[in-house]
Amino acid sequence: MSKNKLSEKEMKEWIEQQWGYEKLPMGGSVPFGGSSIYFKTGDWSPFKAVVDRETCTKCTRCFFLCPDSAITMDDDGIPIMDFDYCKGCGICAEECPADAIAMKDLS
Amino acid sequence: MTKASSTPGKRVGMTGDEAVANSMAVINPDVVAAYPITPQTIIVEHFSDFVNDGEVDTEYITVESEHSAMSACVGASATGARVFTASASQGIALMYEILFIASASRLPIVMAVANRALSGPINIHGELTDQTVCRDTGWISMFSESAQEAYDAGFIAFKIGEHPDVSLPVMYGLDGFILTHALEGVYPLDRKFVKKYLPEREMVHPTIPGNPVSSGLLALQNYYMEIKYQQEIAMDAARKVIPKAFEEFGDLTGRYYKNVEEHQMEDAEVAFVTMGALAGTAKYVVDKLRKAGEKVGMLKVKTFRPFPEEDLAKALKGIETIGVIDRDLTFGAPGPALYTDIKTSLYDHKERPQVLGFVAGLGGRDVAQDEFNYIYKQVLKNKGAEKSVPVEWVGLRK
Repeated sequence: MSKNKLSEKEMKEWIEQQWGYEKLPMGGSVPFGGSSIYFKTGDWSPFKAVVDRETCTKCTRCFFLCPDSAITMDDDGIPIMDFDYCKGCGICAEECPADAIAMKDLS
Repeated sequence: MTKASSTPGKRVGMTGDEAVANSMAVINPDVVAAYPITPQTIIVEHFSDFVNDGEVDTEYITVESEHSAMSACVGASATGARVFTASASQGIALMYEILFIASASRLPIVMAVANRALSGPINIHGELTDQTVCRDTGWISMFSESAQEAYDAGFIAFKIGEHPDVSLPVMYGLDGFILTHALEGVYPLDRKFVKKYLPEREMVHPTIPGNPVSSGLLALQNYYMEIKYQQEIAMDAARKVIPKAFEEFGDLTGRYYKNVEEHQMEDAEVAFVTMGALAGTAKYVVDKLRKAGEKVGMLKVKTFRPFPEEDLAKALKGIETIGVIDRDLTFGAPGPALYTDIKTSLYDHKERPQVLGFVAGLGGRDVAQDEFNYIYKQVLKNKGAEKSVPVEWVGLRK
């Protein structure tokens, strides 16, 4: 892990304190890595990718294609969607060769 | 071909484009990403020779468009590298989107602009509009009068842009064909000079392995204004840094530049004000008019952004009327770029000259002695006019 990573507390300060132009780093940069984890972009879409565990062939295609790295594989080799970060783009459902993923309104 | 390691002090013949390429060979930038376009082509062509012959250590990225060229420059500069590119006209128009990103990301990329008229109608010749339209991109913007000035501009541009208080990209223009393709005598510099004048770039937060930085981020209602204001502060800082960069350059080379260069301004009653290669012709005409007993001077605006309001007001003290000659155009505005900026800058000064505007030399049309003499006649004719005088197009057929 990189040395210039902020703790969750520091990150919250960063977001909540709304610094002015004097304190903000130059050019709108954030001088540490991994900040995207604190931005839960999963609420962007009403549609979520839902896996049918029976149909899934464990091919891992969805894992590699997810643009938000919101898919991990569980111990059985079946994908788990992280709804904190799944923006509902539907790429996994479109690309699943076994049609095991459906986009559903879970609201 | 001129070697990158030319002997300083010895005058060498080169075109404006070759001068720019040669200056970059001496600077030895880390990365150059560029796409050829007339009349800039010789710059990148000639520089690629230096790369091929191993005279520079530069990583030369060939790209498929100017949009990609500037994008590659942004990426390279974000790692802390010293980055150069060059373009013109349609090329600048194509990279326009990325110009704003370069300045907002505070990346001191340096770009030579072989100033050329924009299409349409399609034209390849000299005009400054391709650079004047970039006035709101957040780049520092300068113009050159000669091949020597274009040669020197590269060194000065990196010096200013990379200053930690500034950290902004810099573009410098040289008139298409008039400077880019005309052969002139140029005094080259060497790497010893670069070592003294241009220390290695130091970046605050470079994006390098092991040091992750998020840049080019989304900043909406809650942050956008603060980040834009930071750019304004940087431009203001450039006002202080630029004269020092000129002075230091002058102390080492004997060639002193100024935001606003004055020529025959002592006891002058009227003056020409212009930018780029037109300044050379203006000086020549002024000298001739002076010999004929006319009290005329001329000002060359070298630095266009940040606009040198104070220098201009100072230089114009006591002048009755000026004729501003723009080789650029804006439609439906109070006047062309330099004219409107000068008028705006002078508004708050109690003692200010009458400002007359002229548009000349668009699309590379010649602006020679006759045209300047005509402008001078018009300036005298309208001197002291009570009604406002509309901007006049010089050399236009009805």
